[in-house]
Amino acid sequence: MDFYFGLAQLIGVHTLLGLSAYVVLLTGQVSLAQAGFFAIGAYVAAMLTVLAGWHLVPALGAAALTGATTACAVGFPALRVKGLMLVIATLAFGEGVRLFFFNFDYQIARGDVKVGPLGGEGFRQIRFFPENGWTTLEVMLFIWIFVLLVMALLWWLDRSRYGAVLRAVGEDELAAQSAGINLTAVKVSAITLGGAIAALGGGLYAHYATHIEHLSFGILLATFAIAYPIVGGLASVFGTLAAVLFVQGFLVEGLRDLGDWRNLLFGALIVLAMNLRPRGFLDAGNLRAIKRLFWGGGRGAP
Amino acid sequence: MKKIALAIALAFAAGAASTAQAQEKSIRISGFGAKSGVVRSFGINGEAAMLAAADQINKAGGVKLADGSKARIVVDYYDDRCTAEEGISVIRRIAGTDSLVAVGPTCSNVAEPLFGILQKKVDDKGDSGLQMPVFTDVAIKVGLARISEWAFRNVPNEMTMYSSVFYWLRGKHPQAKTVYGGVEEDFAHSRATWHVVMKDRATANNYTLLGESKWLLNDTNFATQVREMKKANADVVAISAHPFTTCGVLKEMQRQGVKPKVLIGLTSSSSMETMQGCAKQAEGMIIPTSYAPVNKEAKAASDATAKFKGSADLHSMAAWENMFILKSVMEDMKISGAKAEVQADRRKIRDGLAKLRTTPGLLGVNSRTEDREADKPYLFVQAKGGQWVVIHNPL
Amino acid sequence: MLDLLQSASDGVLYGATYALIGIGFTLVFGVMHKINMAYGAASVGGAYLGLMVLKLGAGLPVPLVFFGSFLAGGLLGWMVYLACFHFIPLSSPLATLMSTVGMLLLIDEVIVHTTDGMPQNYPALFDDVMLRFGEFTLRGDLLLVFLVSVACMAGLLALLYRTRLGLATRAVSQQAIAAQLCGIRLAQVNVTTFVITGLLGGIAGAMIGAAVGTLSPLLTTPLTVKGLIVTVIGGLGSVPGAIVAGLLVGGFENVIQLYRGVTERDLYVMLLLFAFLVFRPGGLFAPAGGRN
Repeated sequence: MDFYFGLAQLIGVHTLLGLSAYVVLLTGQVSLAQAGFFAIGAYVAAMLTVLAGWHLVPALGAAALTGATTACAVGFPALRVKGLMLVIATLAFGEGVRLFFFNFDYQIARGDVKVGPLGGEGFRQIRFFPENGWTTLEVMLFIWIFVLLVMALLWWLDRSRYGAVLRAVGEDELAAQSAGINLTAVKVSAITLGGAIAALGGGLYAHYATHIEHLSFGILLATFAIAYPIVGGLASVFGTLAAVLFVQGFLVEGLRDLGDWRNLLFGALIVLAMNLRPRGFLDAGNLRAIKRLFWGGGRGAP
Repeated sequence: MKKIALAIALAFAAGAASTAQAQEKSIRISGFGAKSGVVRSFGINGEAAMLAAADQINKAGGVKLADGSKARIVVDYYDDRCTAEEGISVIRRIAGTDSLVAVGPTCSNVAEPLFGILQKKVDDKGDSGLQMPVFTDVAIKVGLARISEWAFRNVPNEMTMYSSVFYWLRGKHPQAKTVYGGVEEDFAHSRATWHVVMKDRATANNYTLLGESKWLLNDTNFATQVREMKKANADVVAISAHPFTTCGVLKEMQRQGVKPKVLIGLTSSSSMETMQGCAKQAEGMIIPTSYAPVNKEAKAASDATAKFKGSADLHSMAAWENMFILKSVMEDMKISGAKAEVQADRRKIRDGLAKLRTTPGLLGVNSRTEDREADKPYLFVQAKGGQWVVIHNPL
Repeated sequence: MLDLLQSASDGVLYGATYALIGIGFTLVFGVMHKINMAYGAASVGGAYLGLMVLKLGAGLPVPLVFFGSFLAGGLLGWMVYLACFHFIPLSSPLATLMSTVGMLLLIDEVIVHTTDGMPQNYPALFDDVMLRFGEFTLRGDLLLVFLVSVACMAGLLALLYRTRLGLATRAVSQQAIAAQLCGIRLAQVNVTTFVITGLLGGIAGAMIGAAVGTLSPLLTTPLTVKGLIVTVIGGLGSVPGAIVAGLLVGGFENVIQLYRGVTERDLYVMLLLFAFLVFRPGGLFAPAGGRN
C-alpha cells in the first residue's frame, strides 16, 4: 500500500505544478517558467528546514511567498511579449534559474558533515518527513491537504468575477481591453499566483525526494507543467488533475509492466491524446455531461 | 471520463499483477536502473547479468533456506529512466512486493534521493524511512552509501584506482610531470571524479596540475576548451566525462593536434559506447576498471551474460557479483524465505551485508569498508584498435 | 586578442548548425503560426536514418549518407505533419504544441531503442582540414556546414520568391483565409512546408552529425532550445534573421565561455535573449507590419 501512497504524493506534487501553469494558461499565456518557480520553492523550503531548522509549514509559506515575489518581478518585463515570444522568454527564465542553482553553493557544517546546496552536486539529506517519523500515509495526506486547498481556491476563483476576467483575457485580449480590463494587472496577478503554487509544489517536492539538483528542474519539467493543463483541458481544475493521473499514474507507473514499450508509448499516447481531444480531456461539453450525471439534467452549463 | 476510469483501473490492475506470483519455493531479488535514455545500455546489461547469475545459481540448486529447503531465485527488473522521481516510485514498489533486496540504481542522481528516503540509522524508531536493503551495482559517485545504513555498494573505489593509475604512470613514464584535466561539469559523477578524486590523486603523486577545462553533459563544441588544453601542453591529460562528450573532446583534440604523452579516461567510459562513438580517436586512452575478461571465471560470466543479450563490463559484472554475494549472505544469515517473514529477512540481509569484510569477486577478493562501500581489484585497460586491452594488473 | 578572435570565429562557424535548425522553426512558424517542437528531434532522427545507408552498404561514399539523411528528414517531416498537425483543428494551437512535444519524446525514445542510447560515429567531410593563418585556425568541416547553410537559405529564398509554390506559401502565411478563397489548397501548402522543412532538417541533422562527429539522443533538447532562441532573436518567420541570429548566438556563447567559463555561458545566452525581447521584441529582422 505504501507504494500507492508514495505515488499519490508524487501525483499531488505534480498536480500543484500543473495547476500553477493552469492559472497562467487561463489568460492565454504559455509559461515555461513554472519549473523555475518550482525550483525556487524547492531550494527555499529545503534550506529553511535543513539549514535553519524551521518546521515545514512555515518553510512552505516562505517558499510560496518567494515564488510569488519572483513571479511578479519577472511577470512585468516578460509579459510585454506574448505567444511564442513569451514561451521562449519564460523558457529562458526557467533555464536561468536552473543555471543559478547550478552555480549556487551555501553549505554549513553540521557535526562532521556539511549540509546545504553545493552547485552541481545538488542538495542532499532533506529528510524532514522521515526524521520526524511521518509515515507515507501521513505525508500523502499532508501533501493532499495543500493540493485540495489550492484546487478549491482555483475552483472558487473560476466561479468568481476574477475567473471570468482571466478567461476573458485568454479568449480575446483586444475585446477584454475594450471592456476596460487592465491586461497587465490581470496577467501579472495570474503569473504571481502561478508562481506561488509552483513554489509550494517545489517545496513539497524537495522533501518528497530528499535530494534536489539543478538537473531535476530542466526543460522537461517545464514542459510537463504546461502539458498537464493542456492535455487535461482548460475548462476546469479537474482537467489538470485528470491529466496528472493519466501521465504519472497511467503512462509512467501503470504501463510499467509493459517493459520497453512503456517508453515508446509515452510519447505516442500523448500525440494520440491530442489528436483525439485537441481541447483536452475535460472541455465544457464533458463537464456538462458529468454534471448531468451527478445532478440530473436540470440546469444548463455555466 | 470513461477513458480515465479505464486508465486508473488498468494502472491498478497492472500494479496488482506483479505481486501475485508464487508457486514453488522462490525468493525474489529486484534489479532496477535506467533502461531508457542515453544510459539504456547500463540497464540492459545489468538486467542480463542478474538473470544470468540467477540462472547459474538456480541450476546449482538455488539458495538454501533456514529450514534446509532450497529456493529458486526470481529476478525482476524495473526501469527508473534515470530520474529521481521514478527511482523513488520503483523502490517503493519493490518494497511493496515480496522482494528481499534491491540491486541498483544506474545513476548517481537517482541513488542520492533513493538512499535519502531509506532509514538513516537502523533501529532508529523515530526515523520512518524505508527499510529495504539496496545493493548498488552501478551508481559510482564517491561516498554515497554513507547516506543510509540500508545502502550498500559494490562499485569500484575511484580513489584507490586513480591513485594507483598515477603511481603506475610515475614509473612507466618518468619524464611525464604535468597533468591537465577535462571535466563534464554538470554531471554528478564525472564532476566529483575530477574535483574530488583525479585532481587530488595526481597532486598526491607529485604531478603538477596545469589547469582544467570544463564542459557540459550535452555540449557539442569543444574548440575553446581544447585550445586551453593545447596551451597548457601537459604530459598527461585526464578526461572525466561520459562517452558522448569524451568522444567530442577527443575528436577536437585530433583536429587541433593535441597529443599528450598519456591520456586517462573516466572509469565508466571503458565501455563499448566509447568504441562505437570514436574508436580511432580514443586509441591509447588508459582507464582503470574493475572488470576485464582476464581469467576463466570472468570469461564465463561474460559468456553467460551474453546469452541473456547483455555485454559484460565493470558495471554489469558488479551486478553479477552482487547476486553471488547475496546468495551467500542469505545462506549465512539463514533467511526463512517465507512470504510472512519478508521484513525480517530483509533485515537479516542488511545485517549480513554490513558484517561482510571481504567478498569474492571476478578479479579476486573485494574488501568492504565500514561505510558499506567496496574496495575492488582493478586493472588498467587501454584502447587499441577498437578494443579495450588489459595493459597492466597492479595487484 | 587572438583568443577572442579565435573563439568568436569558432563560435560563429559552429553557429551555422543553430542557424540551420532555426530556419526550420521559423519557416513552419511563418506559414502556420505554430511551433513544431519535434523539429530538432526529427532532424537528428533524419541523420540517424541516413547513417543506416552506411550500415546497409559498407564502403558507400560519405555524401550518400548525407543524401540519405536529407531524404529521411523529408519523410519524417511529412510524418510529423500527419501525426501532429493534420487532424488537429487550426484553432487549437496548444494541442499542436503538446502533440509535437509528444513527438519529440517519441522520436528520442525510438532512437534510444534502436541504438541502446549509445553514441554513433558519424562520418564527416573535410574534418581533417584545418585552415591555418599563423596561430589562427578555421575548421574545414565547419566551413562546409557554413556554406551549406548559406546555400540552403539561398535555395529557400529562391523557392519562396521565384516559384508558384513559394507564392502560395507566402500567401498562406500572410492571410490564410484569403489565400484559400483564391483557390490555394491550404492543407497542401501546409504539408509541402513540412516536407521542405523536413528535408532541410535532414541536411541540418547531417551537418550537425558531421560537425559533432557523433550522434546521440543527447543532441535533441539543446538543439531545440537553441533553435527556438535563434528563431526569436532572428525575428519570427524571417529566414535571413534565423541565419544571422544562429551565427550571432554561436559566436556570443563561445566568447562568453572564454571569459566567464562554461557554467555561466548559457546564463548569458538567456540574458542576451531577454535583452532582445525587451529592446527589440520583433527580433533582428522583424517583418514589416506582419501579424502576430
